[in-house]
Amino acid sequence: MPDTSSRVDEVRGRSLTGRAHWPRQWLVSAPPLAYLLVFFAIPAMIMVIASFRHPGEFGGLAPIVEDGRLNLTVEAYERFATDPIYWQVFAKSVVFAGITTLACLLLGYPLALLISRSPRRYRDILMLLVILPFWSNFLIRVYAWMIILGPQSAFTRAINAVIAPIGLDPVTPLFSSFAVVVGLVYVHLPFMVLPLYANLEKHDPALLDAAQDLGADAWRRFWRVTFPLSMPGVWAGAALVFIPALGIFAIPDILGGTEDTLIGNLIKQQFLETRDWPFGSVLSLVLTAIALALAGLAALIARPRRRTTV
Amino acid sequence: MSRILLFVLSLAIAGPGLAASDVLHLYNWNNYIAPETVKRFEASCKCELKQTYYSDNEELLAKLAAGAKGYDIVVPTGNALESLIKQKKLMQIDKSKIPNLKNVNAAYLNTAFDPNNQYSVPYAYTITMLGYNDEKMKELGITVDSWAVIFDPKILEKIKGKVTVLDSAGELMAAALKYLGYSINETDEKKLREAADLIKKAKPYWAAFNASSYIKELTVGNIWVAHGYSNDIFQANLDAIAAGRKFRILHALPKEGAVLALDSMAILQSAPRPDLAYKFIDFMLDGKNSAELSNLIGSGNPNSDAMQHIKADVRSNKAVFPDAATLAKLEQQKDFGAKDRRFRSRLWTEIKVR
Amino acid sequence: MKRTSWTLYAAAMVAYLFLYVPLAIVVVYSFNDSRLNAEWVGFTLDWYRLLFRNDEMIEAAMNSLIIATVASLVSTVLGTMAGFAMHRRRSRVLPILVLAPIAIPEILMGVSLLIFFVLLNFTLGMLSVTLAHVAFCIGFVAIVVRSRLAGMDESLTEAARDCGATPAQAFRLITLPLIMPAVIAGALMAFTLSIDDFVITFFTAGAGTQTLPLQIYSMIKISVTPEVNAVSTLLMLLTLVLIIAASRLAPGALRSS
Repeated sequence: MPDTSSRVDEVRGRSLTGRAHWPRQWLVSAPPLAYLLVFFAIPAMIMVIASFRHPGEFGGLAPIVEDGRLNLTVEAYERFATDPIYWQVFAKSVVFAGITTLACLLLGYPLALLISRSPRRYRDILMLLVILPFWSNFLIRVYAWMIILGPQSAFTRAINAVIAPIGLDPVTPLFSSFAVVVGLVYVHLPFMVLPLYANLEKHDPALLDAAQDLGADAWRRFWRVTFPLSMPGVWAGAALVFIPALGIFAIPDILGGTEDTLIGNLIKQQFLETRDWPFGSVLSLVLTAIALALAGLAALIARPRRRTTV
Repeated sequence: MSRILLFVLSLAIAGPGLAASDVLHLYNWNNYIAPETVKRFEASCKCELKQTYYSDNEELLAKLAAGAKGYDIVVPTGNALESLIKQKKLMQIDKSKIPNLKNVNAAYLNTAFDPNNQYSVPYAYTITMLGYNDEKMKELGITVDSWAVIFDPKILEKIKGKVTVLDSAGELMAAALKYLGYSINETDEKKLREAADLIKKAKPYWAAFNASSYIKELTVGNIWVAHGYSNDIFQANLDAIAAGRKFRILHALPKEGAVLALDSMAILQSAPRPDLAYKFIDFMLDGKNSAELSNLIGSGNPNSDAMQHIKADVRSNKAVFPDAATLAKLEQQKDFGAKDRRFRSRLWTEIKVR
Repeated sequence: MKRTSWTLYAAAMVAYLFLYVPLAIVVVYSFNDSRLNAEWVGFTLDWYRLLFRNDEMIEAAMNSLIIATVASLVSTVLGTMAGFAMHRRRSRVLPILVLAPIAIPEILMGVSLLIFFVLLNFTLGMLSVTLAHVAFCIGFVAIVVRSRLAGMDESLTEAARDCGATPAQAFRLITLPLIMPAVIAGALMAFTLSIDDFVITFFTAGAGTQTLPLQIYSMIKISVTPEVNAVSTLLMLLTLVLIIAASRLAPGALRSS
């Protein structure tokens, strides 16, 4: 007969008799761990070391050992630390990513909520409909936005018709920060909706019924019951939008104006035009560190709330 | 599930196996060879031509620098070719195997980055220049004959928000340097800073840094002046005519001079099938085959024998085939060393961010 | 179920509109009688005709489908395991290892994987691309699965164990159906990421391996013709049909409980 107490504790995330359970737990975490160690950690290590190497004279990286000496340096890090321009760009990227995440949340939450409350037989189709547009190619979706935001589109003409009476000059949304944010939100929306839906779907409608019986109106029911319960989904969606959005370069390249250069563009520039891979590595590693730090911070803030939910 | 597994296994095993048959791997720009040419080559050599594409010299260099193998022929532009030669990544060409080399116009041989054509054979060329909407420019009374159109605030004021420039440090700095009267391969830091300041002053008037969709925007009329490549501007005009527009997209080679981009065929040291590579190069040096590309996209052609096969409207287009006087004002970009690249890159970052 | 307020409907409809207006343009323009993807000129089926003769593009599309299917299946399995492990063990290493591929800029990952494969003398091809895709997709699945597990009612699993079920049985019969929506959501995200990836695929693809994004991005300097719209429209429809077919063939396994 299995030991009841240790099993209960295992279920709660702790194990008093750890010995009996670690083979099983290792079985679950070993495959993904092994895979990521081989196909992510080791390659990543290559680039971490690369950040300490000299750039090759004509591209790529200089050899690690040259004339029998170790050819390493912290020069790339020094250059990064002493030049404030890169921090400017990082800050801008964080702001853009933050706005994108917020917009995705505002736009995606009602969608996920509606789908989760729809009759069971429609839910899968409705969810598929959310992600269907994203199986078309990225580039032409962005080109579609160039059409929508271009000077000759119905959308632009409508906006200009509205602001003209106020006396403002006609605007073109294309090639601006607004266009970049629209593009970023568009590209990342499903990655907010899907995690939110996965969470909202399991909410017990009985809770809402109980709240209604106790006299709460629809808004209160949402704020005091649904939203707090959905927090893990919100954080998951926020992470899957914010983190990738930090490093993206294609959207600013195509939809952005002359002032919309983000850190992703600078990193791409280092690897391609400048052929300064060590410096590109430094920028990339700093970006990754910032992303992980912010994610960790968010996880810390999220954790206490999780325990107070049912 | 098991069927998918079989798929994967068969790909992993069959992958190297497929290469055993006669396949020539060409790593090229997209749409840089006419489909008819490919078919004819495959018939003549009884082999298969497999193309993979890059859209930027830098992408090619990055992939090769990281060690990618399996390609036979690459088609880099001059400065990228220079970089590959210095990195010793190219095979020396045995000229006896490519008798058609005699067809190439001597003006394009023996360049500074490959003296005596030891490693490369000219393929096609483009010139970076200005493309513009003729109707709009006439309306505003602007003569487009100088880089001033994209750099002089007095002119830019009239076309604010209707100008795009190439999103390339090399090209834009080259244009600025030419406008200031310097060489595009300038390394003097003071002169480079002067060019950067010029760009920064003009930047607020530009709509965007755009290397890819400016043809569209020009043809549709959203943009009136674009800094772009000769074959793109040629194409934009064709598109404008096809779309029934009243304006035309004209080209202007600024009087201060411009950048000539000569693309050449080269064989990689690691090429699996150099024999097929030689067959291909000799095939492409035949005038008729070489002409097909110019007819397709309006690219310049360094092959004298090809001229007779090129369509009249392409042949007479001064943007595609400049006369000798204009040719003298064109410069080709050099490959810079790490220190110079870094300095230019820092300037470019400033331009982009400040 | 009940009184879903009209504000919710309106907000959701705005979101759907936001998603579909660009898509409508993509589909409509695949019939556009103009080489440019810029404005409507007239109706034509030429692009579809051209597409069916374009062996390269079709091969690229098929490659993308195969890679995306395999990569999403593998990363869903590994990602679910990872999400589970992250929820249970609260270790510090696994979350970082799982999140980092999402955080790291694609160019860095692409270049580093290429160098890695070259060091191992691993032949680049569809396999190398698939392996790379799995690496960055695992994190997406893991995060969604973990968030679903968080706050999940454990009493059902406990009850099953009390009734004598082995941990494996408890997982298969109780936990898995309960987290299925998250697993499916993760799989869908992984598929989407893989089928549209450019940067990492560019660096890890072999000579002669062409995927649809590689094909399309290389057209960026010349012109992205409506042939691309056509192939995208068809690919979307094909994927939709495949997924609906799959869910019909295995209704029990995929239905959210």
